Amino acid sequence: MAPGASQVSIRDLTVAYPGRDGRLIALERISLQVEPGEFVCLVGPSGCGKSTLLRVVAGLASRESGDVEIRVNRPGRPPTAMVFQEHALLPWRTVLDNVMFGPENRGVPRPEREANARRMLDLVGLRAFARAYPHQLSGGMKQRVGIARALANDPEVLLMDEPLAALDAQTRVILQEEILRLWAELGVTVIYVTHSLEEALLLGDRVVLLTARPGRVKRVFPVPLGRPRGLEARASPEFGALVDRIWAELREEVLKSAEAERRDPPS
Amino acid sequence: MSRPVRRWRLDLVPLILPALVLVAWEIASATGLLRAVFFPRPSTIARLLLAQVADGTLLAHLGLTVARLTAAFVLAAVPGVAVGLAMGMSRRTREGLDPLFALLYPIPSVLFLPLVSFALRQEEVAVAVTAAFTSFFLVVYTTMTGVQQLDRTVLEAARHFGAHGRRFFLTVLLPATLPAIFTGLRLGLGYTLIVVVAVEMVSAQRGLGALLWLSWQILKVEEMYVALVTVAVLGAVLTGAVEWLRRRLIPWAQDIAEVGA
Amino acid sequence: MSGAALPVLLLAAWEIAARTAVVSPRYFPPPTVIAATLSRLLTAGEFWGDALTTLSRLAGAFLVAALAGVPLGLAMGLWRPLRRALEPAVAMLYPLPKIALLPLFLILLGVGEGAFVFTAAVTAFFQILTSTAGGTATIDPRLVEAGRNYGARGVTLFRKVILPAALPAVLTGLRLGLGLALITVIAVEFVAAKSGLGHLVFRYWQMLLTGEMYAAFLLIGLMGLGATRGLRAVQRRALGWQEEIGWR
Repeated sequence: MAPGASQVSIRDLTVAYPGRDGRLIALERISLQVEPGEFVCLVGPSGCGKSTLLRVVAGLASRESGDVEIRVNRPGRPPTAMVFQEHALLPWRTVLDNVMFGPENRGVPRPEREANARRMLDLVGLRAFARAYPHQLSGGMKQRVGIARALANDPEVLLMDEPLAALDAQTRVILQEEILRLWAELGVTVIYVTHSLEEALLLGDRVVLLTARPGRVKRVFPVPLGRPRGLEARASPEFGALVDRIWAELREEVLKSAEAERRDPPS
Repeated sequence: MSRPVRRWRLDLVPLILPALVLVAWEIASATGLLRAVFFPRPSTIARLLLAQVADGTLLAHLGLTVARLTAAFVLAAVPGVAVGLAMGMSRRTREGLDPLFALLYPIPSVLFLPLVSFALRQEEVAVAVTAAFTSFFLVVYTTMTGVQQLDRTVLEAARHFGAHGRRFFLTVLLPATLPAIFTGLRLGLGYTLIVVVAVEMVSAQRGLGALLWLSWQILKVEEMYVALVTVAVLGAVLTGAVEWLRRRLIPWAQDIAEVGA
Repeated sequence: MSGAALPVLLLAAWEIAARTAVVSPRYFPPPTVIAATLSRLLTAGEFWGDALTTLSRLAGAFLVAALAGVPLGLAMGLWRPLRRALEPAVAMLYPLPKIALLPLFLILLGVGEGAFVFTAAVTAFFQILTSTAGGTATIDPRLVEAGRNYGARGVTLFRKVILPAALPAVLTGLRLGLGLALITVIAVEFVAAKSGLGHLVFRYWQMLLTGEMYAAFLLIGLMGLGATRGLRAVQRRALGWQEEIGWR
């Protein structure tokens, strides 16, 4: 790839799979460029394929046509690491062992990966829980471990699939602050899927709105709110205006999606 | 002063009912309310038990039963886990073996004893193989269900973070299935005990089952009760041991309450 | 190659091995002979008497176990004091191989149907009790709260909220209990009875009628399969609202 090119380059991506009546198109000819160090948020109605898009970038789902290219700045660095909505921690491993899992599979020697893992746990404030098991932690703590695990893998791109959706509102706010802090500190490229507009505007440099299925890029909204951005940003008039603008277009898609479901309900 | 005492008392509560039953039985039997021929006094049974322990006869029978149990259990468990994992992971294996197993599983193992005895001249081996039969299927089905009920997202995350092939099997699939395997082993052990005792009742000269059956045949009721109590204690000890092992090996999992086959 | 090919292959291999005397056809008769024997015995009506005997013992054992186990299990699940009182006794008796109780019942009830049915009943009882109590105790308390909130009390609450919520566990327990009862009945027949399929197997072995013996195995296997699959179908119809069979 040419120098100065994007960190993630998605071109004409189409994802489809066999459904009940023929071919079900999840994503149709999606194109998107993500710059190094950028924080991009994907929003859209339920079923629009935003999680699918993330999974294709992560290599967890296959594409029918189109390209996904992730620039590797340092050889040996994994292109992506994903933070899952249901944290997906390995229940039989301690917190520390979970965070070390990625580097362990890549053959990183123990002292190095352990030091790295402890550093990550420090970053997310869970140093004291290194020897605990996931079932002993709260939802918010488990999600923090998930973030630490992804970061410990030192990826080119951090992918987050509605990581805060399963948490209560208060924990969500705290973790949003932490994510902002971590991102500022580490400068990693992030693609973040959420169904909350407020969250997308709070965290992102750009908000990408997807249509109802088949998912296409409806519009990309740059977020001109300054950095460092704290929770006070939510109170600013620009924030409210942005929410209204995006919601107007998102609402269209949500209604379209609901109509489609009415016509074709799950059996 | 009140808190520790009360908790200690609370722990004794569950023992009250059995203790009451024993006391009532003792009295009823001693006063002839219950016919001592059918229900000898618990104190008599206890005394006979201790005597038989002291002169080693009971322990000899017990040892033999335990030896058969161990052999049968290993025979059932090792292939059982392997086949269960295979059936859980591969649909074709499952479809191929399931009909065969489903047909064989309901047949009580003990029925195969004559056939197996003939095919494998060695008597003890025949006993072990017979007792392993149904337990094998139990372990297979529990393990298989365990694999099928694994949280797919966890497996996906593990693959995403670089676990593949042999590494995946050893560091992800096996530990993930361990709780289900343990449940299968617990059920299998319990069932193996049942069949070993049944086989001993049918055809052995020594062992707890044999002791049980022979003492009935010569109507030595107290001895029958001694054998019965020993079998019960053996079963309880085994279950407790498996539980203890489970808590040490997989501190992170709850027991699956029921498994359907 | 479809997965269903494997059993066919195994049967074919057995057939060939028996016919060519690779294995002794006397002790491992070819599957075709077994199938023929089974159909002959069924049409000639020889099996029916013993099969019926076994089935009636099974029915008796299962009914006793269910009638005792389900109500007691529900009670244990709903009232904690009862559960705490009985739990240790149940936990201690559960691991005991119930077949070991056979001699005791033979003494108490004499050599007859009572002992056979009772041994099988006790085996099934513990399974049904444990499953029912466990399932009832773990009913989501919010369901009960919601029920009360909408005015269901006492018997109505029981009938409309608690019973349906406990039903999956109860049916699973009944299904497992039925399987256990069948196994125990046949084992007991093998060991101590003078009639029934289990005893039939014993007699065939004594007369070295191996073909008949295998036919009996097949019949028992089919009976057991039919019983559990049947109950599973009942479970599925009664619990259409549940996502999958199998109570975690």
